[in-house]
Amino acid sequence: MKANIRRELPYMLFALPALVVYTVLTVYPLVQTLGLSFTNWDGFSMEGLQFVGLANFRNLFGDRAMRITLRNTVLYSIVQPLAVTALAIPLSLALNTGMRSRNLQRAVFFFPSVPSAIILGYLWAYILAPTGTGIVNKFLGLFGIAPKLWLADPTLAMLSVIGVSVWSSVGWHACIYLAKLQGIPQDYYEAATIDGAGPWQRFRYITFPMLSSAMTISVLLLVLNALKVYDLPFALTKGGPGNATTMVSQMIIKTGFVEKSYGKATAMSAVFFVFIAVVSVVQLTLMKKREADLDG
Amino acid sequence: MVKRRTAGGTAARITGEALMLCVCAVFFIPFYYLLVNTFKPSQEAAFFPMALPKAFTLENYREAFRLINFFSSLRNSVVITVVSVVIIILFGAMAAYPIVRRKAKWSKVLFIYFLLGFMVPVQTTMIPLFRLISGLNLQNSVLGMIVLYSSWCNFALFIYQGFLSTVPLELEEAALIDGCNLWQMFWRIVFPLLKPATTTIVIFDVMWIWNDFILPYLFLSSSENFTLIMEVYKGVGQFSNNWSVMLSTMVIVLIPITVFYVIMQRHIIAGITSGAVKG
Repeated sequence: MKANIRRELPYMLFALPALVVYTVLTVYPLVQTLGLSFTNWDGFSMEGLQFVGLANFRNLFGDRAMRITLRNTVLYSIVQPLAVTALAIPLSLALNTGMRSRNLQRAVFFFPSVPSAIILGYLWAYILAPTGTGIVNKFLGLFGIAPKLWLADPTLAMLSVIGVSVWSSVGWHACIYLAKLQGIPQDYYEAATIDGAGPWQRFRYITFPMLSSAMTISVLLLVLNALKVYDLPFALTKGGPGNATTMVSQMIIKTGFVEKSYGKATAMSAVFFVFIAVVSVVQLTLMKKREADLDG
Repeated sequence: MVKRRTAGGTAARITGEALMLCVCAVFFIPFYYLLVNTFKPSQEAAFFPMALPKAFTLENYREAFRLINFFSSLRNSVVITVVSVVIIILFGAMAAYPIVRRKAKWSKVLFIYFLLGFMVPVQTTMIPLFRLISGLNLQNSVLGMIVLYSSWCNFALFIYQGFLSTVPLELEEAALIDGCNLWQMFWRIVFPLLKPATTTIVIFDVMWIWNDFILPYLFLSSSENFTLIMEVYKGVGQFSNNWSVMLSTMVIVLIPITVFYVIMQRHIIAGITSGAVKG
Protein backbone atom coordinates (compact mmCIF):
# COMPACT_ATOMS: atom_id res chain seq x y z
CA MET A 1 0.00 0.00 0.00
CA LYS A 2 2.76 2.37 1.00
CA ALA A 3 4.78 1.60 -2.10
CA ASN A 4 1.64 2.15 -4.08
CA ILE A 5 1.11 5.65 -2.72
CA ARG A 6 4.77 6.44 -3.24
CA ARG A 7 4.41 5.54 -6.88
CA GLU A 8 1.13 7.41 -7.38
CA LEU A 9 1.99 10.51 -5.37
CA PRO A 10 3.98 12.40 -8.03
CA TYR A 11 1.08 11.89 -10.42
CA MET A 12 -1.40 13.05 -7.81
CA LEU A 13 0.58 16.26 -7.41
CA PHE A 14 0.08 16.97 -11.11
CA ALA A 15 -3.67 17.09 -10.59
CA LEU A 16 -3.44 19.18 -7.44
CA PRO A 17 -3.56 22.77 -8.83
CA ALA A 18 -6.64 22.10 -10.96
CA LEU A 19 -8.23 20.18 -8.11
CA VAL A 20 -7.74 23.08 -5.70
CA VAL A 21 -9.11 25.88 -7.93
CA TYR A 22 -12.02 23.75 -9.07
CA THR A 23 -12.92 22.62 -5.56
CA VAL A 24 -12.59 26.07 -3.97
CA LEU A 25 -14.24 28.08 -6.76
CA THR A 26 -16.89 25.70 -8.09
CA VAL A 27 -17.67 22.78 -5.80
CA TYR A 28 -17.46 24.62 -2.48
CA PRO A 29 -19.73 27.51 -3.58
CA LEU A 30 -22.16 24.99 -5.08
CA VAL A 31 -22.37 23.07 -1.80
CA GLN A 32 -22.86 26.38 -0.01
CA THR A 33 -25.66 27.34 -2.39
CA LEU A 34 -27.41 24.05 -1.80
CA GLY A 35 -26.99 24.31 1.98
CA LEU A 36 -27.88 27.99 2.28
CA SER A 37 -31.06 27.50 0.29
CA PHE A 38 -32.56 25.90 3.42
CA THR A 39 -31.63 28.82 5.67
CA ASN A 40 -32.54 32.44 6.29
CA TRP A 41 -29.07 33.67 5.23
CA ASP A 42 -28.81 37.47 4.98
CA GLY A 43 -25.89 37.41 2.57
CA PHE A 44 -23.29 38.72 4.99
CA SER A 45 -22.68 36.92 8.24
CA MET A 46 -23.13 33.30 9.06
CA GLU A 47 -24.14 34.21 12.61
CA GLY A 48 -27.76 33.82 13.54
CA LEU A 49 -28.17 31.46 10.62
CA GLN A 50 -31.37 29.48 10.98
CA PHE A 51 -32.61 26.39 9.27
CA VAL A 52 -35.94 27.29 7.67
CA GLY A 53 -36.65 24.04 5.86
CA LEU A 54 -38.44 24.43 2.59
CA ALA A 55 -39.69 27.97 3.25
CA ASN A 56 -37.49 29.50 0.53
CA PHE A 57 -38.70 26.95 -1.98
CA ARG A 58 -42.35 27.50 -1.06
CA ASN A 59 -41.72 31.19 -1.47
CA LEU A 60 -40.22 30.55 -4.83
CA PHE A 61 -42.93 28.47 -6.38
CA GLY A 62 -45.60 30.73 -4.97
CA ASP A 63 -44.00 33.64 -6.82
CA ARG A 64 -45.74 34.51 -10.08
CA ALA A 65 -42.70 36.24 -11.60
CA MET A 66 -40.59 33.16 -10.89
CA ARG A 67 -43.11 30.91 -12.61
CA ILE A 68 -43.06 33.18 -15.65
CA THR A 69 -39.25 33.16 -15.87
CA LEU A 70 -39.22 29.39 -15.52
CA ARG A 71 -41.75 29.10 -18.33
CA ASN A 72 -39.70 31.52 -20.47
CA THR A 73 -36.51 29.54 -19.92
CA VAL A 74 -38.19 26.22 -20.76
CA LEU A 75 -39.84 27.67 -23.87
CA TYR A 76 -36.59 29.25 -25.02
CA SER A 77 -34.59 26.08 -24.34
CA ILE A 78 -36.94 24.02 -26.50
CA VAL A 79 -37.57 26.38 -29.40
CA GLN A 80 -34.08 27.84 -29.84
CA PRO A 81 -32.21 24.48 -30.05
CA LEU A 82 -34.89 23.08 -32.39
CA ALA A 83 -34.68 26.10 -34.70
CA VAL A 84 -30.87 26.13 -34.72
CA THR A 85 -30.71 22.39 -35.47
CA ALA A 86 -33.36 22.61 -38.19
CA LEU A 87 -31.31 25.34 -39.92
CA ALA A 88 -27.76 24.19 -39.11
CA ILE A 89 -28.12 20.78 -40.80
CA PRO A 90 -29.29 22.15 -44.19
CA LEU A 91 -26.71 24.93 -43.89
CA SER A 92 -23.94 22.41 -43.32
CA LEU A 93 -25.12 20.48 -46.41
CA ALA A 94 -25.01 23.67 -48.47
CA LEU A 95 -21.56 24.53 -47.14
CA ASN A 96 -20.31 21.04 -47.90
CA THR A 97 -20.77 21.29 -51.67
CA GLY A 98 -17.64 22.14 -53.54
CA MET A 99 -18.51 25.78 -54.21
CA ARG A 100 -15.65 28.09 -55.07
CA SER A 101 -16.61 30.63 -52.41
CA ARG A 102 -17.17 28.04 -49.66
CA ASN A 103 -14.46 29.41 -47.37
CA LEU A 104 -15.93 32.89 -47.59
CA GLN A 105 -19.40 31.48 -46.91
CA ARG A 106 -18.21 29.58 -43.85
CA ALA A 107 -16.50 32.66 -42.50
CA VAL A 108 -19.67 34.73 -42.98
CA PHE A 109 -21.95 32.26 -41.24
CA PHE A 110 -19.52 31.68 -38.40
CA PHE A 111 -18.79 35.36 -37.78
CA PRO A 112 -21.79 36.09 -35.47
CA SER A 113 -20.20 33.65 -33.00
CA VAL A 114 -17.22 35.98 -32.63
CA PRO A 115 -18.62 39.08 -30.88
CA SER A 116 -19.96 38.98 -27.34
CA ALA A 117 -23.73 38.43 -27.14
CA ILE A 118 -23.87 41.76 -25.31
CA ILE A 119 -22.74 43.57 -28.46
CA LEU A 120 -25.07 41.55 -30.69
CA GLY A 121 -27.98 42.33 -28.36
CA TYR A 122 -27.38 46.08 -28.39
CA LEU A 123 -26.83 46.04 -32.15
CA TRP A 124 -30.10 44.22 -32.81
CA ALA A 125 -31.94 46.51 -30.42
CA TYR A 126 -31.17 49.33 -32.89
CA ILE A 127 -32.06 47.17 -35.89
CA LEU A 128 -35.44 46.16 -34.44
CA ALA A 129 -36.29 49.57 -32.99
CA PRO A 130 -39.52 51.32 -34.05
CA THR A 131 -37.50 54.53 -34.69
CA GLY A 132 -35.44 55.68 -37.69
CA THR A 133 -32.66 53.21 -36.92
CA GLY A 134 -34.99 50.22 -37.17
CA ILE A 135 -34.28 48.79 -40.60
CA VAL A 136 -36.53 45.77 -40.08
CA ASN A 137 -39.59 47.96 -39.79
CA LYS A 138 -38.35 50.16 -42.64
CA PHE A 139 -38.04 47.06 -44.80
CA LEU A 140 -41.54 45.84 -43.88
CA GLY A 141 -42.79 49.33 -44.67
CA LEU A 142 -41.75 48.86 -48.28
CA PHE A 143 -44.48 46.23 -48.50
CA GLY A 144 -47.00 48.41 -46.74
CA ILE A 145 -46.73 46.50 -43.45
CA ALA A 146 -47.20 48.68 -40.40
CA PRO A 147 -44.19 48.94 -38.03
CA LYS A 148 -44.16 46.27 -35.33
CA LEU A 149 -43.00 46.68 -31.74
CA TRP A 150 -40.45 43.87 -31.93
CA LEU A 151 -39.08 44.43 -28.46
CA ALA A 152 -42.08 45.91 -26.68
CA ASP A 153 -44.74 43.31 -27.46
CA PRO A 154 -44.39 40.26 -25.16
CA THR A 155 -44.75 37.58 -27.87
CA LEU A 156 -42.68 39.43 -30.47
CA ALA A 157 -39.98 40.16 -27.88
CA MET A 158 -39.54 36.46 -27.13
CA LEU A 159 -39.57 35.77 -30.86
CA SER A 160 -36.89 38.42 -31.39
CA VAL A 161 -34.64 37.01 -28.66
CA ILE A 162 -34.96 33.54 -30.17
CA GLY A 163 -34.45 34.85 -33.71
CA VAL A 164 -31.29 36.82 -32.91
CA SER A 165 -29.88 33.91 -30.96
CA VAL A 166 -30.58 31.50 -33.83
CA TRP A 167 -28.87 33.91 -36.22
CA SER A 168 -25.83 34.10 -33.97
CA SER A 169 -25.35 30.38 -33.30
CA VAL A 170 -26.44 28.64 -36.50
CA GLY A 171 -23.01 29.00 -38.15
CA TRP A 172 -21.13 27.53 -35.20
CA HIS A 173 -23.41 24.50 -35.08
CA ALA A 174 -23.31 24.07 -38.86
CA CYS A 175 -19.53 23.70 -38.38
CA ILE A 176 -20.09 20.82 -35.97
CA TYR A 177 -22.18 19.03 -38.61
CA LEU A 178 -19.84 20.03 -41.41
CA ALA A 179 -16.95 18.30 -39.70
CA LYS A 180 -18.94 15.09 -39.56
CA LEU A 181 -20.24 15.39 -43.14
CA GLN A 182 -16.70 15.52 -44.47
CA GLY A 183 -16.03 12.14 -42.89
CA ILE A 184 -18.85 10.29 -44.69
CA PRO A 185 -17.30 8.02 -47.34
CA GLN A 186 -18.39 8.94 -50.87
CA ASP A 187 -18.97 5.25 -51.80
CA TYR A 188 -22.02 5.12 -49.53
CA TYR A 189 -23.72 7.65 -51.76
CA GLU A 190 -22.56 5.97 -54.96
CA ALA A 191 -23.83 2.58 -53.81
CA ALA A 192 -27.17 4.11 -52.80
CA THR A 193 -27.50 5.92 -56.13
CA ILE A 194 -26.89 2.67 -58.00
CA ASP A 195 -29.62 1.09 -55.88
CA GLY A 196 -31.93 3.86 -57.08
CA ALA A 197 -32.04 6.11 -54.01
CA GLY A 198 -33.08 9.73 -54.71
CA PRO A 199 -31.56 12.78 -52.97
CA TRP A 200 -34.11 12.72 -50.12
CA GLN A 201 -33.58 9.01 -49.50
CA ARG A 202 -29.83 9.46 -49.55
CA PHE A 203 -30.17 12.18 -46.91
CA ARG A 204 -32.68 10.24 -44.84
CA TYR A 205 -30.86 6.90 -44.80
CA ILE A 206 -27.19 7.88 -45.09
CA THR A 207 -26.44 11.48 -44.13
CA PHE A 208 -28.88 11.91 -41.26
CA PRO A 209 -27.91 8.72 -39.36
CA MET A 210 -24.21 9.51 -39.90
CA LEU A 211 -24.77 12.90 -38.26
CA SER A 212 -26.18 11.41 -35.06
CA SER A 213 -23.04 11.80 -32.94
CA ALA A 214 -22.62 15.40 -34.09
CA MET A 215 -26.26 15.96 -33.22
CA THR A 216 -25.74 14.63 -29.70
CA ILE A 217 -23.04 17.15 -28.94
CA SER A 218 -24.64 20.04 -30.81
CA VAL A 219 -28.05 19.66 -29.18
CA LEU A 220 -26.52 19.14 -25.75
CA LEU A 221 -24.47 22.33 -26.09
CA LEU A 222 -27.49 24.23 -27.42
CA VAL A 223 -29.81 23.16 -24.62
CA LEU A 224 -27.28 23.81 -21.85
CA ASN A 225 -26.43 27.23 -23.26
CA ALA A 226 -30.11 28.02 -23.70
CA LEU A 227 -30.90 27.12 -20.11
CA LYS A 228 -28.07 29.37 -18.89
CA VAL A 229 -28.72 32.22 -21.31
CA TYR A 230 -28.15 35.66 -19.84
CA ASP A 231 -26.27 38.15 -22.02
CA LEU A 232 -28.48 38.28 -25.09
CA PRO A 233 -31.90 38.94 -23.48
CA PHE A 234 -30.16 41.26 -21.01
CA ALA A 235 -28.83 43.42 -23.85
CA LEU A 236 -31.71 43.08 -26.30
CA THR A 237 -34.81 43.43 -24.13
CA LYS A 238 -33.53 43.74 -20.53
CA GLY A 239 -35.91 40.86 -19.85
CA GLY A 240 -38.92 42.95 -20.81
CA PRO A 241 -41.52 43.98 -21.56
CA GLY A 242 -42.48 43.20 -17.98
CA ASN A 243 -40.99 39.78 -17.41
CA ALA A 244 -41.81 38.50 -20.90
CA THR A 245 -38.19 37.62 -21.77
CA THR A 246 -36.70 37.35 -18.27
CA MET A 247 -34.82 34.07 -17.93
CA VAL A 248 -33.94 32.19 -14.75
CA SER A 249 -30.31 33.42 -14.78
CA GLN A 250 -31.43 37.02 -14.83
CA MET A 251 -33.97 36.39 -12.10
CA ILE A 252 -31.32 34.86 -9.83
CA ILE A 253 -29.05 37.85 -10.33
CA LYS A 254 -31.90 40.29 -9.79
CA THR A 255 -33.13 38.53 -6.65
CA GLY A 256 -29.66 37.98 -5.18
CA PHE A 257 -27.66 41.03 -6.18
CA VAL A 258 -30.29 43.73 -6.62
CA GLU A 259 -33.08 42.82 -4.18
CA LYS A 260 -30.61 41.08 -1.85
CA SER A 261 -33.08 38.30 -1.02
CA TYR A 262 -30.31 35.77 -0.59
CA GLY A 263 -32.39 32.91 0.77
CA LYS A 264 -34.72 33.07 -2.19
CA ALA A 265 -31.87 33.51 -4.68
CA THR A 266 -29.93 30.51 -3.36
CA ALA A 267 -33.14 28.45 -3.48
CA MET A 268 -33.55 29.48 -7.12
CA SER A 269 -29.94 28.55 -7.81
CA ALA A 270 -30.45 25.16 -6.18
CA VAL A 271 -33.55 24.45 -8.26
CA PHE A 272 -31.73 25.67 -11.36
CA PHE A 273 -28.77 23.37 -10.66
CA VAL A 274 -30.95 20.29 -10.14
CA PHE A 275 -32.91 21.17 -13.28
CA ILE A 276 -29.77 21.49 -15.43
CA ALA A 277 -28.26 18.31 -13.99
CA VAL A 278 -31.42 16.30 -14.70
CA VAL A 279 -31.83 17.72 -18.22
CA SER A 280 -28.21 17.02 -19.17
CA VAL A 281 -28.20 13.46 -17.84
CA VAL A 282 -31.56 12.60 -19.43
CA GLN A 283 -30.57 14.18 -22.69
CA LEU A 284 -27.19 12.52 -22.89
CA THR A 285 -28.77 9.11 -22.15
CA LEU A 286 -31.50 9.57 -24.77
CA MET A 287 -29.17 10.85 -27.45
CA LYS A 288 -26.62 8.09 -26.84
CA LYS A 289 -29.41 5.53 -27.12
CA ARG A 290 -30.56 7.14 -30.35
CA GLU A 291 -27.02 7.03 -31.70
CA ALA A 292 -26.77 3.33 -30.84
CA ASP A 293 -30.13 2.63 -32.51
CA LEU A 294 -29.12 4.46 -35.67
CA ASP A 295 -25.77 2.73 -35.82
CA GLY A 296 -27.26 -0.71 -35.30
CA MET B 1 -33.03 21.83 -57.69
CA VAL B 2 -35.29 20.94 -60.62
CA LYS B 3 -33.00 22.78 -62.96
CA ARG B 4 -30.01 20.66 -62.01
CA ARG B 5 -31.41 17.64 -63.83
CA THR B 6 -32.26 19.41 -67.09
CA ALA B 7 -29.61 22.09 -67.55
CA GLY B 8 -27.02 19.95 -65.85
CA GLY B 9 -23.68 20.81 -64.22
CA THR B 10 -22.32 24.29 -64.64
CA ALA B 11 -25.47 26.41 -64.88
CA ALA B 12 -27.00 24.80 -61.81
CA ARG B 13 -23.79 25.16 -59.86
CA ILE B 14 -23.50 28.83 -60.66
CA THR B 15 -27.14 29.41 -59.71
CA GLY B 16 -26.62 27.54 -56.45
CA GLU B 17 -23.53 29.49 -55.62
CA ALA B 18 -25.16 32.82 -56.48
CA LEU B 19 -28.10 31.89 -54.28
CA MET B 20 -25.83 31.04 -51.34
CA LEU B 21 -23.93 34.31 -51.77
CA CYS B 22 -27.25 36.19 -51.60
CA VAL B 23 -28.12 34.36 -48.38
CA CYS B 24 -24.66 35.26 -47.03
CA ALA B 25 -25.22 38.92 -47.91
CA VAL B 26 -28.57 39.04 -46.08
CA PHE B 27 -27.07 37.19 -43.13
CA PHE B 28 -24.29 39.76 -42.90
CA ILE B 29 -26.53 42.87 -43.07
CA PRO B 30 -26.33 43.56 -39.29
CA PHE B 31 -22.55 43.92 -39.52
CA TYR B 32 -22.75 46.11 -42.61
CA TYR B 33 -25.29 48.25 -40.73
CA LEU B 34 -23.01 48.40 -37.70
CA LEU B 35 -20.02 49.55 -39.71
CA VAL B 36 -21.60 51.87 -42.26
CA ASN B 37 -23.47 53.98 -39.71
CA THR B 38 -20.33 54.78 -37.76
CA PHE B 39 -19.11 56.93 -40.67
CA LYS B 40 -22.22 59.12 -40.88
CA PRO B 41 -23.41 62.05 -38.78
CA SER B 42 -26.27 60.89 -36.47
CA GLN B 43 -28.90 62.76 -38.42
CA GLU B 44 -27.99 61.18 -41.73
CA ALA B 45 -27.67 57.73 -40.13
CA ALA B 46 -31.19 57.89 -38.72
CA PHE B 47 -32.68 58.85 -42.08
CA PHE B 48 -30.68 56.51 -44.32
CA PRO B 49 -29.37 53.69 -42.12
CA MET B 50 -28.63 51.41 -45.08
CA ALA B 51 -27.04 53.92 -47.47
CA LEU B 52 -23.32 54.48 -47.86
CA PRO B 53 -22.17 57.62 -46.04
CA LYS B 54 -22.73 60.85 -48.03
CA ALA B 55 -20.75 63.01 -45.65
CA PHE B 56 -17.98 60.65 -44.55
CA THR B 57 -16.86 61.44 -41.01
CA LEU B 58 -14.63 59.99 -38.31
CA GLU B 59 -16.17 62.25 -35.68
CA ASN B 60 -18.10 59.33 -34.10
CA TYR B 61 -14.90 57.41 -33.49
CA ARG B 62 -13.20 60.47 -32.04
CA GLU B 63 -16.15 60.91 -29.70
CA ALA B 64 -16.21 57.20 -28.78
CA PHE B 65 -12.51 57.27 -27.91
CA ARG B 66 -13.14 60.36 -25.78
CA LEU B 67 -15.99 58.65 -23.87
CA ILE B 68 -14.57 55.22 -23.18
CA ASN B 69 -11.32 54.32 -21.43
CA PHE B 70 -10.15 52.36 -24.43
CA PHE B 71 -6.55 51.75 -23.49
CA SER B 72 -7.11 50.91 -19.86
CA SER B 73 -9.98 48.53 -20.65
CA LEU B 74 -8.03 46.97 -23.51
CA ARG B 75 -5.14 46.38 -21.12
CA ASN B 76 -7.51 44.85 -18.53
CA SER B 77 -9.12 42.58 -21.11
CA VAL B 78 -5.74 41.46 -22.45
CA VAL B 79 -4.23 40.84 -19.01
CA ILE B 80 -7.28 38.98 -17.71
CA THR B 81 -7.64 36.85 -20.85
CA VAL B 82 -3.97 36.01 -21.36
CA VAL B 83 -3.12 35.19 -17.75
CA SER B 84 -6.33 33.20 -17.21
CA VAL B 85 -5.82 31.18 -20.38
CA VAL B 86 -2.19 30.43 -19.47
CA ILE B 87 -3.26 29.20 -16.02
CA ILE B 88 -6.09 27.15 -17.54
CA ILE B 89 -3.68 25.54 -20.01
CA LEU B 90 -1.07 24.68 -17.38
CA PHE B 91 -3.50 23.36 -14.77
CA GLY B 92 -5.67 21.55 -17.31
CA ALA B 93 -2.76 19.79 -19.04
CA MET B 94 -1.18 18.78 -15.75
CA ALA B 95 -4.41 17.35 -14.38
CA ALA B 96 -5.22 15.49 -17.59
CA TYR B 97 -1.89 13.67 -17.51
CA PRO B 98 -2.44 11.36 -14.52
CA ILE B 99 -6.09 10.93 -15.47
CA VAL B 100 -5.07 9.36 -18.78
CA ARG B 101 -1.82 7.68 -17.76
CA ARG B 102 -2.70 6.19 -14.36
CA LYS B 103 -5.11 3.32 -14.57
CA ALA B 104 -5.69 3.45 -10.81
CA LYS B 105 -9.10 3.98 -9.26
CA TRP B 106 -8.30 7.45 -7.91
CA SER B 107 -7.68 8.85 -11.37
CA LYS B 108 -11.05 7.61 -12.63
CA VAL B 109 -12.87 9.06 -9.65
CA LEU B 110 -11.01 12.33 -10.13
CA PHE B 111 -12.03 12.51 -13.78
CA ILE B 112 -15.71 12.07 -12.93
CA TYR B 113 -15.37 14.67 -10.19
CA PHE B 114 -14.01 17.16 -12.74
CA LEU B 115 -16.65 16.25 -15.33
CA LEU B 116 -19.42 17.11 -12.91
CA GLY B 117 -18.28 20.72 -13.19
CA PHE B 118 -19.83 20.90 -16.65
CA MET B 119 -23.23 20.78 -14.97
CA VAL B 120 -22.53 23.72 -12.68
CA PRO B 121 -23.20 27.04 -14.39
CA VAL B 122 -21.78 30.09 -12.65
CA GLN B 123 -25.34 31.28 -11.99
CA THR B 124 -25.72 28.55 -9.37
CA THR B 125 -22.54 29.41 -7.49
CA MET B 126 -22.23 33.17 -7.88
CA ILE B 127 -23.80 34.24 -4.61
CA PRO B 128 -21.43 32.28 -2.31
CA LEU B 129 -18.66 32.98 -4.82
CA PHE B 130 -19.21 36.70 -4.43
CA ARG B 131 -18.89 36.38 -0.69
CA LEU B 132 -15.76 34.26 -1.05
CA ILE B 133 -14.06 36.69 -3.44
CA SER B 134 -15.03 39.68 -1.29
CA GLY B 135 -13.67 37.85 1.75
CA LEU B 136 -10.33 37.50 -0.04
CA ASN B 137 -10.49 41.21 -0.92
CA LEU B 138 -10.36 40.34 -4.60
CA GLN B 139 -13.64 41.88 -5.69
CA ASN B 140 -13.32 44.70 -8.20
CA SER B 141 -9.82 43.70 -9.25
CA VAL B 142 -8.13 42.27 -12.32
CA LEU B 143 -6.49 39.63 -10.11
CA GLY B 144 -9.90 38.56 -8.81
CA MET B 145 -11.15 38.03 -12.37
CA ILE B 146 -8.10 35.88 -13.14
CA VAL B 147 -8.73 33.78 -10.03
CA LEU B 148 -12.36 33.33 -11.06
CA TYR B 149 -11.55 32.30 -14.63
CA SER B 150 -8.80 29.89 -13.56
CA SER B 151 -11.53 27.56 -12.30
CA TRP B 152 -12.69 27.11 -15.90
CA CYS B 153 -9.97 24.47 -16.32
CA ASN B 154 -12.49 21.58 -16.68
CA PHE B 155 -12.94 22.22 -20.37
CA ALA B 156 -9.18 22.24 -20.97
CA LEU B 157 -8.82 19.09 -18.91
CA PHE B 158 -11.52 17.38 -20.95
CA ILE B 159 -9.92 18.31 -24.30
CA TYR B 160 -6.44 17.32 -23.14
CA GLN B 161 -7.79 14.06 -21.79
CA GLY B 162 -9.32 13.17 -25.15
CA PHE B 163 -6.20 14.12 -27.05
CA LEU B 164 -3.67 12.52 -24.72
CA SER B 165 -5.33 9.11 -24.98
CA THR B 166 -4.27 9.08 -28.65
CA VAL B 167 -0.59 9.87 -27.88
CA PRO B 168 1.61 6.73 -27.68
CA LEU B 169 3.48 6.01 -24.46
CA GLU B 170 6.88 5.02 -25.90
CA LEU B 171 8.46 8.49 -25.91
CA GLU B 172 7.58 9.04 -22.28
CA GLU B 173 9.01 5.69 -21.23
CA ALA B 174 12.19 6.34 -23.17
CA ALA B 175 12.62 9.75 -21.54
CA LEU B 176 12.14 8.30 -18.06
CA ILE B 177 14.70 5.60 -18.77
CA ASP B 178 17.12 8.29 -19.98
CA GLY B 179 16.94 9.81 -16.51
CA CYS B 180 14.36 12.58 -16.85
CA ASN B 181 12.15 12.97 -13.82
CA LEU B 182 8.39 13.06 -14.25
CA TRP B 183 8.20 16.85 -14.14
CA GLN B 184 10.91 17.41 -16.79
CA MET B 185 9.53 14.64 -18.95
CA PHE B 186 6.02 16.12 -18.86
CA TRP B 187 7.06 19.62 -19.94
CA ARG B 188 9.75 18.58 -22.44
CA ILE B 189 8.10 15.58 -24.07
CA VAL B 190 4.36 15.41 -23.39
CA PHE B 191 3.31 19.05 -23.35
CA PRO B 192 4.78 19.92 -26.79
CA LEU B 193 2.98 16.89 -28.25
CA LEU B 194 -0.32 18.29 -27.01
CA LYS B 195 -0.03 21.39 -29.20
CA PRO B 196 -3.16 20.73 -31.36
CA ALA B 197 -5.25 20.39 -28.20
CA THR B 198 -3.62 23.51 -26.75
CA THR B 199 -4.55 25.47 -29.89
CA THR B 200 -8.19 24.40 -29.55
CA ILE B 201 -8.31 25.37 -25.89
CA VAL B 202 -6.64 28.73 -26.52
CA ILE B 203 -9.17 29.60 -29.24
CA PHE B 204 -12.27 28.72 -27.23
CA ASP B 205 -11.15 30.05 -23.88
CA VAL B 206 -9.87 33.31 -25.36
CA MET B 207 -13.26 33.85 -27.04
CA TRP B 208 -15.24 32.89 -23.93
CA ILE B 209 -13.21 34.92 -21.45
CA TRP B 210 -12.77 37.94 -23.70
CA ASN B 211 -16.51 38.05 -24.41
CA ASP B 212 -17.70 37.12 -20.94
CA PHE B 213 -20.08 39.61 -19.42
CA ILE B 214 -21.64 38.00 -16.37
CA LEU B 215 -18.49 37.83 -14.19
CA PRO B 216 -17.14 41.35 -14.91
CA TYR B 217 -20.68 42.67 -14.50
CA LEU B 218 -21.00 41.11 -11.05
CA PHE B 219 -17.43 41.46 -9.79
CA LEU B 220 -16.04 44.69 -11.30
CA SER B 221 -17.47 47.94 -10.03
CA SER B 222 -15.04 50.72 -10.89
CA SER B 223 -14.31 51.97 -14.33
CA GLU B 224 -10.51 51.63 -14.12
CA ASN B 225 -10.90 47.84 -13.81
CA PHE B 226 -13.47 47.44 -16.60
CA THR B 227 -12.96 45.11 -19.54
CA LEU B 228 -13.86 46.17 -23.08
CA ILE B 229 -17.28 44.50 -22.93
CA MET B 230 -18.03 46.46 -19.76
CA GLU B 231 -17.23 49.68 -21.64
CA VAL B 232 -20.00 48.84 -24.11
CA TYR B 233 -22.38 48.19 -21.23
CA LYS B 234 -21.37 51.45 -19.57
CA GLY B 235 -21.83 53.27 -22.88
CA VAL B 236 -25.43 52.10 -23.18
CA GLY B 237 -26.18 53.73 -19.87
CA GLN B 238 -24.39 56.95 -20.76
CA PHE B 239 -24.77 57.79 -24.41
CA SER B 240 -27.16 55.31 -25.99
CA ASN B 241 -29.18 58.18 -27.45
CA ASN B 242 -26.19 59.09 -29.58
CA TRP B 243 -26.37 55.86 -31.47
CA SER B 244 -23.66 56.55 -34.05
CA VAL B 245 -21.18 56.96 -31.20
CA MET B 246 -22.58 53.84 -29.55
CA LEU B 247 -22.11 51.83 -32.75
CA SER B 248 -18.56 53.19 -33.09
CA THR B 249 -17.84 52.01 -29.55
CA MET B 250 -19.05 48.55 -30.50
CA VAL B 251 -16.83 48.52 -33.60
CA ILE B 252 -13.80 49.57 -31.54
CA VAL B 253 -14.51 46.84 -28.99
CA LEU B 254 -15.03 44.29 -31.78
CA ILE B 255 -11.72 44.95 -33.53
CA PRO B 256 -9.34 42.97 -31.26
CA ILE B 257 -11.47 39.80 -31.18
CA THR B 258 -12.09 40.03 -34.94
CA VAL B 259 -8.34 40.22 -35.56
CA PHE B 260 -7.94 37.17 -33.34
CA TYR B 261 -10.67 35.37 -35.30
CA VAL B 262 -9.09 36.17 -38.65
CA ILE B 263 -5.68 34.92 -37.50
CA MET B 264 -7.07 31.75 -35.93
CA GLN B 265 -9.86 31.09 -38.45
CA ARG B 266 -8.04 28.17 -40.00
CA HIS B 267 -7.89 26.38 -36.65
CA ILE B 268 -11.45 27.09 -35.57
CA ILE B 269 -13.30 24.51 -37.64
CA ALA B 270 -10.56 22.01 -36.83
CA GLY B 271 -11.03 22.94 -33.19
CA ILE B 272 -14.77 22.45 -33.27
CA THR B 273 -14.18 19.05 -34.85
CA SER B 274 -11.54 17.78 -32.48
CA GLY B 275 -12.84 19.48 -29.40
CA ALA B 276 -16.58 19.31 -29.37
CA VAL B 277 -17.31 16.34 -31.57
CA LYS B 278 -15.74 13.37 -29.97
CA GLY B 279 -16.24 10.05 -31.75
